[in-house]
Amino acid sequence: MTRQSPFSVRGRRALMVMKDEREIAIVRRQLGRLGITVSEHDPDDPPPPKDAADVVVFDADAIPIKSDLAAMWKTGAPIIALIGTETPSRLKWLLELQPASFLVKPLRSAGLYTALVVAFDCAQRRAEEANYVDRLEVRVRSRRVVFAAVLQVMNGHNLSEPDAFALIRQTAMRHRTTIERLSADIIALGGMPNRTTRSA
Amino acid sequence: MMAGEMRKSALMAIDEINVSAEFDFVFEPHLRDPGGVVAAYHTACADLIREEQVDHIVGCYTSASRKQVIPIVERTERLLWHPARYEGFESSDNVIYVGAAPNQHVVPLVRHMLDHISHDVFCIGSNYVWTWETNRVIREIVTSAGGRILAERLLELGEPAVDHIVKEVMDRRPPVVINTLVGESSYAFMRALHQATSRAGLTIPMLSCSLCEPELKLIGSAASVGCITSSAYFESIERPENVGFVARWKARHGADSNPSVDGLSTYVCVMLLARAIRRAGSADVAAVRRAAANHRYESPQGPVWVDPENNHCFLTPRLARSVPGCQFRIFWEANAPERPDPYLSSLDLSTIGRRRETSNDRVSTGSNHLRVVK
Repeated sequence: MTRQSPFSVRGRRALMVMKDEREIAIVRRQLGRLGITVSEHDPDDPPPPKDAADVVVFDADAIPIKSDLAAMWKTGAPIIALIGTETPSRLKWLLELQPASFLVKPLRSAGLYTALVVAFDCAQRRAEEANYVDRLEVRVRSRRVVFAAVLQVMNGHNLSEPDAFALIRQTAMRHRTTIERLSADIIALGGMPNRTTRSA
Repeated sequence: MMAGEMRKSALMAIDEINVSAEFDFVFEPHLRDPGGVVAAYHTACADLIREEQVDHIVGCYTSASRKQVIPIVERTERLLWHPARYEGFESSDNVIYVGAAPNQHVVPLVRHMLDHISHDVFCIGSNYVWTWETNRVIREIVTSAGGRILAERLLELGEPAVDHIVKEVMDRRPPVVINTLVGESSYAFMRALHQATSRAGLTIPMLSCSLCEPELKLIGSAASVGCITSSAYFESIERPENVGFVARWKARHGADSNPSVDGLSTYVCVMLLARAIRRAGSADVAAVRRAAANHRYESPQGPVWVDPENNHCFLTPRLARSVPGCQFRIFWEANAPERPDPYLSSLDLSTIGRRRETSNDRVSTGSNHLRVVK
């Protein structure tokens, strides 16, 4: 997977969810300079589909904390939060949205690029971490399968547990497959598969 | 309504300064009315600074309007004198905050509720930042003391339809209701709840930290009675400075007219400004800010001075009960002006309202900075 540099912002799509005309003008102008495609979204409307933008510039003061809309924004593209009110009640609500980055109002042209870079980098890292966690979860779920396969090899080949596991690991490497997949094969076949072909 | 009360009070203070021999300068007021339209505050403020070349701006009632004005006063190095109580968590070098910080109005009210009424409370408020943050503080204090928030109901700003909330309150009969509604919603709710409780022969204590005398009149004589209110100013304060202020207010605005906390606070803004200019010898913003720091003014609401650490004011918290005649009877007041704590960083939850046996003498030791006012 090629990793898109967070510093290259040209060509990405930003969605402005803002109310204040002056702030909209500042953000629009600066995003334009950076080569970002800009669209606007009325904060009073339900959020658009997840893939409508690469980044959302979101005025945290534009949506009441206690509203149906508030919960619907907890999804999708990385959010750059524009913060006017620093009260804990507002910040608590904002944390629920997991903003990738933020800017404190009043806005000016400086700072937006940093906020974008931090947001893209944060989103990339989050995606990679989520991916990694998914892989770990698969491995955790396969633990019983691996354990059963080790037992089978211990019994079938009269090996100690460390030796049985070492054999499974070496075989998996030779077959260019994972320990988990090979373990599933061992259980399905009732013994170590006798193949020389690559499985993947 | 508040904007009108604040303008009347500012002009009264300006007229008093302009005829007073104590000041060797006069104020020339420039009035702008953004009419509560949030975006218009920025324009009005920019216009005052660029066209009229004013150095000091008195005004803004809502936090939304203040946040429109702050960028301009910061950029142009002007001072905004802000009269209204607000939810805190702000401290600009270019704002003098003369209204109560949360430790000066919310905290004493909740402390009283926990000590004397109940640990379980029903919250009803307007759906905006002041209620959200006030409710958060209430929740933090109440739950820390072992109490419960029975409900938190919100109405949109200006919403007059309150019957469903009144019905819920009557169905659940909470031991106490905290009302952070503002304007017409609050008046409608107090009238409707009064009607419902009277019909049922019930009394449900209500607490507020924003109600003022002119609002009691709008609510009506019967429904406005009995609300326990936290404020730094009530018309009934018996200080000579206030007796004189109320007399001058009535002479100017009519015997039927009543000052309010927000009006008085606007008056105090102008007086603090005038005193700081006199002390500084100029209207220069940096000099005035330095001169205002720690400069004590014996105001109608008691001694007031600016804490230079955060530009908020030392004020005296008070608790009162609304009584017939659209007035408040004060029953608690801090024994000295309280340091402003806009970030509630000094709030010690372990000292407030733990569930315990209460008796009058134990309560006075539990709330050692409050004393009974006879």
